[in-house]
Amino acid sequence: MTFSLNRLLAIAGKEWKDSVRNPQILLMAGMPIVFSILMKGQLSEGNAIDRFTVPVMIAIAVVGAFVQALMISEEKEKNTLRALMLSPASPVEVLLGKSAMTTVYTIAVMVVCMLITGIPAINIGYLIIYILFLLVIFMALGTSIGLISRTASETSIVGLPILLFFVFGPIFAPGLKVSFVMDVIGFIPSYHFMEGLSAVVHDEGREQIWLSLGNLLVWMVLSTLLVLFIYRGKRFDK
Amino acid sequence: MESIIEVNNLAKMYQNKQALNNLSFQVKKGEIFGFLGPSGSGKTTTVKILTSQLRYTSGRVTVLGAAPDRGRKANFLGRIGVLTDNSGLYDRLSVYDNLALFCRLYGVPESSLGGLLDTVNLSADRNTLVQQLSKGMKQRVTLVRAILHRPEILFLDEPTSALDPVNVLQIHETLRQLNRDGTTIFLTTHNMQEAEALCGRVAFLNNGEISALDTPLQLRLQHGDKTITVTTPKGPEIVGQDAAGANRINELIRSGALLAIHSNEPTLGDIFVKLTGRGLE
Repeated sequence: MTFSLNRLLAIAGKEWKDSVRNPQILLMAGMPIVFSILMKGQLSEGNAIDRFTVPVMIAIAVVGAFVQALMISEEKEKNTLRALMLSPASPVEVLLGKSAMTTVYTIAVMVVCMLITGIPAINIGYLIIYILFLLVIFMALGTSIGLISRTASETSIVGLPILLFFVFGPIFAPGLKVSFVMDVIGFIPSYHFMEGLSAVVHDEGREQIWLSLGNLLVWMVLSTLLVLFIYRGKRFDK
Repeated sequence: MESIIEVNNLAKMYQNKQALNNLSFQVKKGEIFGFLGPSGSGKTTTVKILTSQLRYTSGRVTVLGAAPDRGRKANFLGRIGVLTDNSGLYDRLSVYDNLALFCRLYGVPESSLGGLLDTVNLSADRNTLVQQLSKGMKQRVTLVRAILHRPEILFLDEPTSALDPVNVLQIHETLRQLNRDGTTIFLTTHNMQEAEALCGRVAFLNNGEISALDTPLQLRLQHGDKTITVTTPKGPEIVGQDAAGANRINELIRSGALLAIHSNEPTLGDIFVKLTGRGLE
């Protein structure tokens, strides 16, 4: 099966035209920006890295994951995903085409959030790598949630608990002082995203940076494989 | 004539339920083949297997020379078209944008859309959002999407269900033209008039098994009671297709009393009921 950039761009173009007429997606894309404005003063009292990472994680979770899940579950609900599956477009072309628009939205929203909250003094190379890794992981999770959900409304039931845990787990779990919860949190990518960027900013040594990047890399590979596995499963009816 | 679909001893089990049982048939290149049966008889299951959407339990299936589920997706799917009654469209996009997407996916120039939209009388609505279309118009858009790449086989699963007669006639004419241009059509329906109007051969599917397969004419001749109804001023009268019947018709013609004459062939629906003991609805 040959990869076709033209097919990928066709799907991405369709997503763009569809999303700008979809008030639900536009509303979701605006939420992290509103959150950044509302929380700017309160987060300023925390350390600089939290002030930066929390809005970024919310943007990635809400736009990168949840919007992606909504778009895919809506395609399933309206039987348009089956039409794509019955076309010559490969799973990779379909999934990358759909993800391209979400990536653009997420990056745009993140940039606005960063402009509102401010960017700490940090190595830009590391910053881009961490953000890209986390974005891929959350988009893959969002895609999986969208494929599992039968309807767009079911996306909230399936996806919100997972995404809330991934975003707010590392922020609030330490306050619970429950070792089991902290052990679980210690595996999730958002925790390593925050720990890694903190290590970069505070110059805590390469070991912590590589450890967190390694964790994100493993999550990236596993979540991508999960998407392909679920997509191939959905191509065939039971 | 060369077979384009070959199905031998096909069986499909859904957990403990036998959906298809020992199904065997062939579809010849260039024909319109009808698969008739009531809801739940296995029509959609068969179409899904033939179009690589569903795996089968046992048997042998060949579509366009190979099994439809053995890693030949892009090449295979580029040669078939599929239209079901719940084929989805992008509601927030225009008719043209919906179709232009699939032109690019199939590698077909968008310039071909003008003629196709003309064929189904949708040229004036090319920039209308799909959410503003009627069900019949949406079905015509999905038909164009299914045929824009000139498929070698077109699979139609209840293509005119819930459409008004004008839309049905329009879709039938489009299908006939497509068939004249060389596309083989595999049509599943529970609508016997549709099958009679379009199909060269039909198979009756009942409880996952084929109970009859032939041309509509042959089926009617095989299962007819070989009588003729003549209508006179006194009312209808049934005569046999024999010497006595011929004499009676001759007499009525000579006396000027023959108002109408009809052979009493059963409809496909009548034959289905006779063979299976159940209706097509």
